[in-house]
Amino acid sequence: MPDDNNGDDGSVPSGERDASPESRADGGEVTDGGHAVREELPAGDEHGHDFPSMGTVKRWLVTTNHKDVGILYTVTSLFFLVFGGLLALLFRLELTTASGSFLTGTAYNQAVTAHGLLMVFFFLSPFAFGFANYFVPLQLGAKDLAFPRLNALSYWLYLLAGGLFGLSFLQGSTFAGGWTMYAPLNLPMYLPEGVGSTTAVMAMIMFVISVTVSSVNFLTTMHRMRAEGMRIRDMPLFSMSILLTVWMMLFAFAALLAALIILASDHILGTTYFAATEGGSLLWAHLFWFFGHPEVYIVFFPALGMMAEVFQTFTGRRIVGRKWFIAAMTLVALQSFVVWMHHMFLTSINLEIKTLFMATTIGISLPFDLMVFALIYTMIKGRIRFTTPFLFAFGALLLFIVGGITGVFLGAVVLDYEFRGTYWVVAHFHYVMVGGAMAMFGALYYWYPKMTGKMYDEFLGKAHFALSFVGFNLLYFPQFVAWETPRRVYNYQPEFVTWHQLSTVGAFVFGLSFLLMFYNFYKSYHHGEDAGDAPWKYASSAEWAIPSPPSLENFPGVPSYKGGSLSFLSEEEVHGAAAADGGPAHGHATGDAHAGGHDDHASYWPLLSSVAVFVLFVGLAGTNGGGTVYTATAALGGLALLGTAAGWVVESFHVSEPELASRWPFDGVENTKLGVWIFLASDVVVFGAFVGSYIFIRVAEGWQNWHHLLPADHVVLPGLINTYLLLASSFSIVLAMVAAEKKSRAGVVAGLVTTLVLGIGFLINKGIEWSHFFHIHSEHFPEGWTFGTNVASSTFYLTTGMHGLHVTLGLLVLLWMIPRAWRGAYTSTEDGDKPLEYFGLYWHFVDIVWLFLFPLFYIL
Amino acid sequence: MSGTIATLVTVLQSDGIIPRGSRVEVFDAIYWVFLVLGALVGIVVIGYMLYNAYKYRDVGETDEDAAESKKVERPKLGELPRGGGGGRKLFLSFTLSAIIVISLIAWAYGILLYVEEGAAEEPPTEQAEALEVQVEGYQFGWRFTYPNGHTVDSAVGDSFKVPADRMVRLNVTSADVFHNFGIPGLRVKSDAIPGQYTQQWFIAEDPGTNYTARCYELCGAGHSDMTATVEVMSQEEWQNWYEGTGNETETGDDGNQSDGGDDDGHALEDVLEEPVDYGMEVHA
Ligand code: HEM
Ligand SMILES: [Cu+2]
Ligand SMILES: [Cu+2]
Repeated sequence: MPDDNNGDDGSVPSGERDASPESRADGGEVTDGGHAVREELPAGDEHGHDFPSMGTVKRWLVTTNHKDVGILYTVTSLFFLVFGGLLALLFRLELTTASGSFLTGTAYNQAVTAHGLLMVFFFLSPFAFGFANYFVPLQLGAKDLAFPRLNALSYWLYLLAGGLFGLSFLQGSTFAGGWTMYAPLNLPMYLPEGVGSTTAVMAMIMFVISVTVSSVNFLTTMHRMRAEGMRIRDMPLFSMSILLTVWMMLFAFAALLAALIILASDHILGTTYFAATEGGSLLWAHLFWFFGHPEVYIVFFPALGMMAEVFQTFTGRRIVGRKWFIAAMTLVALQSFVVWMHHMFLTSINLEIKTLFMATTIGISLPFDLMVFALIYTMIKGRIRFTTPFLFAFGALLLFIVGGITGVFLGAVVLDYEFRGTYWVVAHFHYVMVGGAMAMFGALYYWYPKMTGKMYDEFLGKAHFALSFVGFNLLYFPQFVAWETPRRVYNYQPEFVTWHQLSTVGAFVFGLSFLLMFYNFYKSYHHGEDAGDAPWKYASSAEWAIPSPPSLENFPGVPSYKGGSLSFLSEEEVHGAAAADGGPAHGHATGDAHAGGHDDHASYWPLLSSVAVFVLFVGLAGTNGGGTVYTATAALGGLALLGTAAGWVVESFHVSEPELASRWPFDGVENTKLGVWIFLASDVVVFGAFVGSYIFIRVAEGWQNWHHLLPADHVVLPGLINTYLLLASSFSIVLAMVAAEKKSRAGVVAGLVTTLVLGIGFLINKGIEWSHFFHIHSEHFPEGWTFGTNVASSTFYLTTGMHGLHVTLGLLVLLWMIPRAWRGAYTSTEDGDKPLEYFGLYWHFVDIVWLFLFPLFYIL
Repeated sequence: MSGTIATLVTVLQSDGIIPRGSRVEVFDAIYWVFLVLGALVGIVVIGYMLYNAYKYRDVGETDEDAAESKKVERPKLGELPRGGGGGRKLFLSFTLSAIIVISLIAWAYGILLYVEEGAAEEPPTEQAEALEVQVEGYQFGWRFTYPNGHTVDSAVGDSFKVPADRMVRLNVTSADVFHNFGIPGLRVKSDAIPGQYTQQWFIAEDPGTNYTARCYELCGAGHSDMTATVEVMSQEEWQNWYEGTGNETETGDDGNQSDGGDDDGHALEDVLEEPVDYGMEVHA
């Protein structure tokens, strides 16, 4: 919602670095090679933005431009690579002896845990999304992502989530329960003292929020802003891999979000989900791995896409079996949600389920065979140039083959029985994940010239490859040999000590090789040769058809593939085409006559809101056990968040939707509406996970036993009243929409006010009910029936509380909308009622959720 | 196709091919088969990859010459992505790899069935009666409870004594957090989950040998040191020792913490399929 058009444009010259004349001249290739036409940038490109230049600090604080955000992501993720890498070197040093020396007990556990969390969450995915931010819009032919401010918000949330995680080290101890955070070791009673562990959990929640915002943004962009003539399947493979990744992220991270919220609630409110002896442990394992297995592909797919891109360019051959490659990836993405229990073969699950999950696991490995062969066959008849990017991609494929084969071992259940919890697993997943990271380093060399305009030093690049590849294998291969070492121990069988020492030597070779990379990029940025538009022969995607680095608006015209290959259309051609295409029906969301070039690129609000969330989370983490300072901090953060949220809506921030684009299958909706839909889809999974957890715990407890855990006063009536209130409010919001259609200002206001009143009634009713339960003094519940009384109270309060939070957020939005409605915002212009429609969607969703919760928590 | 796979599966799971015996024997068989085949496949695929990379390296001929001689169209800047042909070869190698993987797994599945069911019904030992032991992990040690109620605790230095050549069935659980009980030398491993019981078995073959049991799931500060000694005795020796333990009253080791009442002593019988016969007489 925040990004819809409500503003005018300034006209201050931008400080954007323009493409140098030389690089423009180089761009002639496009015209030679295809039908592309390079036009001089229209003069209008120079204005429209009150936008500081790249040399200023301010630029980087306010930017919402996808390329800037991409660079921020890349740099930040490399910082976390170093952070996580140093931790790894630390415990690799510890492992040079077979018994504990300098890093033992909880300290070791913290280092290992933080290493895993930082590498998987704060390095791998954000590194991939640095490229995704920068290059997906370019490959699609879009000017930016659909919601630029939300994109900046994702970044700042990510950065500050990392900051929060760093902070947790200073609060006594960070989380020490492994990156898989198994229950009940993930609860305060088993973790080191202090609020650090809770802070780390909050940091993870903040990170997941960032991911969700980003997923919505990418999905909307990729489905609605592709250049004319580019079908989904025509996207370059890198973009394709990102699309699938983002779909997986949307659902997988929603499950993780639910799991983390429950965990945070166990920490902060004292609910007893994961402490529940009956099923608490397994509940976490299910929730975590439902997320965790797709996560494996989430971190690997982008690398695969980059490998495909680099292979195509440097072999000079189109990817063999490209459509099968895509089909295989899609299959994997779908199947990734039905293999999670292969992480639980040694739990008490029965043979039938083991069989099923063994089958799905092997099933999911097969499409990867196809992809590997496709890449290998692409080399045939190629003209392979062994540049640094290709070496990395080639090396990554090799490592992936080793990782894949050793993974098949794990799929054979009987072998997994023995490998589980050992260095076999550690070696295997590093071959896959760090292998993927190798491909991404290749991609960094590949795209560096585009991002900076400078060529890197080829010799140093190759040296980096050689050292890191040797270091990698020296680091991880011995771990296969010494596989009987248990994971996460500093005290292991002495016969393996030599292998571990070798591994540590490898770790240092691997780690130090990155100094070459950083030096290379630093030096080349200042003294490198100009790269030109298209330094790589046979590169085909659109980013190579524009200057390096691209201008702020990306393209010299409107990109189109209508003629079979890339061309840039002028404004007039676009208007002609759009009219022929069914007219402004598509482009109308902006309601803006010159929808061309005057988008905004600067806002402070993403940063400020993220800071507010940071403060809020620091406070929340300490409210249980940290003292009143924390509570006050939380309150401050909450207020700041409300304040900045208002800032978003008040700020005038103009974003245009492309007039001409391929939008299958979402032609009929505008970006914001699609964004709301996608967001709600992930919210469905969040609630699904909550309801699923409730059912899981209740079944473990005994479905009927449950009634003994409820107070006698837990009756149907309050729930029933609330059901009526919400149903009525759904009706009144529809009335408001109808009134808006009829341009009746009073009708809109009346509808919204009624909704507000009903919503408040819902909350009051709930408040009375809760406060009654809290103060019960019955025989069974002498101390009241509160969050932590038992599993029934925990699930009741948390699930309906999450729903209540949704209601509250809706009411806040209503409070904002009512005065606007009064001033005629939704009735005075043609498309003015859109925000009402988006709000209506959300509100109906919240009501529907209640219709599920009511029977589950009040009747059954 | 699916018919072939089905036959393949039946063949692979026929008795002759499935290794039997103790878990060490079973594991060794399957591990080596996987290792050899895996290495073979790896070497072939990686070798082929390197070969192609070398063969098709760019030797600096001009584009025109090269395109002439190799008859390929190169990607062009600005084109809509397309595939590069060669689909048949792709499918052939894909099918081949699928067959290898599926048959390996089908075979491994036969072994799983043996481990989970076959061995359970007819233990591969002369001594038919299995010894049932409850294993309970806690922060940080292992408690072993024998059918007669005798309990030993690794934290006070007791070893877990088992008879040779007799099947030992473990019922593994935890008193606090998630642990994982494993004896790498005997190739047995099982999750120890609070509130859950998991079953595994093993057979130790060499009397006089000691093995180390370890924890394979991170469980807190003492995870690294959560070991127990497994002492294999000849059946006679073990029997003598065992008979001496019979009438002991259980000394609850309350030195180790329990986290506020999660372990309210659900009887083992609730969870086991067949209730354990605590009065079981054991004959050598
Ligand atoms: C892209 C880079 C990397 C990723 C994604 C990654 C990921 C992980 C993850 C998820 C874990 C499991 C943590 C846990 O058990 O909770 C782990 C453990 C480990 N990592 Fe990494 N890692 C990366 C790089 C490295 C590097 C560079 C080293 C060596 C210097 C390293 C050495 C280790 C070791 C030895 C363990 C196992 C520690 C233990 O189980 O005691 N990793 N890594
Ligand atoms: Cu998995
Ligand atoms: Cu442990």
